[in-house]
Amino acid sequence: MPEVEPQVGIVLVSHSVLLADGAADLAAQVSGGTVTVAAAGGTDDGGLGTSAAKVERAVRRADGGAGVLVLADLGSAVLTVRALLGDLPDVTVALADAPFVEGAVAATVTAAGGADLTAVAKAAEEAWHARKL
Amino acid sequence: MPASSESITLSGDLHARPAGAVAVAAGRFASAVSVSAGTRTVDAKSVLGIMGLGATSGQQVTVSADGPDAAEAVAALITILGDATRVGG
Repeated sequence: MPEVEPQVGIVLVSHSVLLADGAADLAAQVSGGTVTVAAAGGTDDGGLGTSAAKVERAVRRADGGAGVLVLADLGSAVLTVRALLGDLPDVTVALADAPFVEGAVAATVTAAGGADLTAVAKAAEEAWHARKL
Repeated sequence: MPASSESITLSGDLHARPAGAVAVAAGRFASAVSVSAGTRTVDAKSVLGIMGLGATSGQQVTVSADGPDAAEAVAALITILGDATRVGG
């Protein structure tokens, strides 16, 4: 068996269960499925909103020892994430200022290539500049 | 540092999954690697950059690398581009 380096994990926080799950599915497929992409969408009862408990579970699931990058869809999701991160001192977590879908795909692909947390976060944030046309 | 470059004619459009496969592979090499199509050149380690090329079936793309593992990087990416654009996605 070849030695496998731990990869950065990705957490996608959205106000919508469907949006978080769909973005996680897309990012996982484009990157070949080797990176843990954990979705934390919606409130605890599945409505539109965010859940600190879901984000915490997602961060713990995504943590493989190389750190976790969190992306959020809208500003108030960022509030939930920020409030939580101080409560997780045992996990190295970074919050990306990035567009949700493009950032998720760029971060996951970069993590799959073996990059560290700083490079994965940079790839997500560079997604602001990626043109489609 | 050694530099290497090779071209391939795509047998299918360069969609999201083949673009992802190229970027994941490029990320595993120490060399700087780029992909060119038409007049545009992007960092091969950037999946969004590769998708933004809009490279289509029949188009020639060129992989270039500069660094300690340049030849290996170019060979790996040319293989992926040949295989992945055949199945699409």
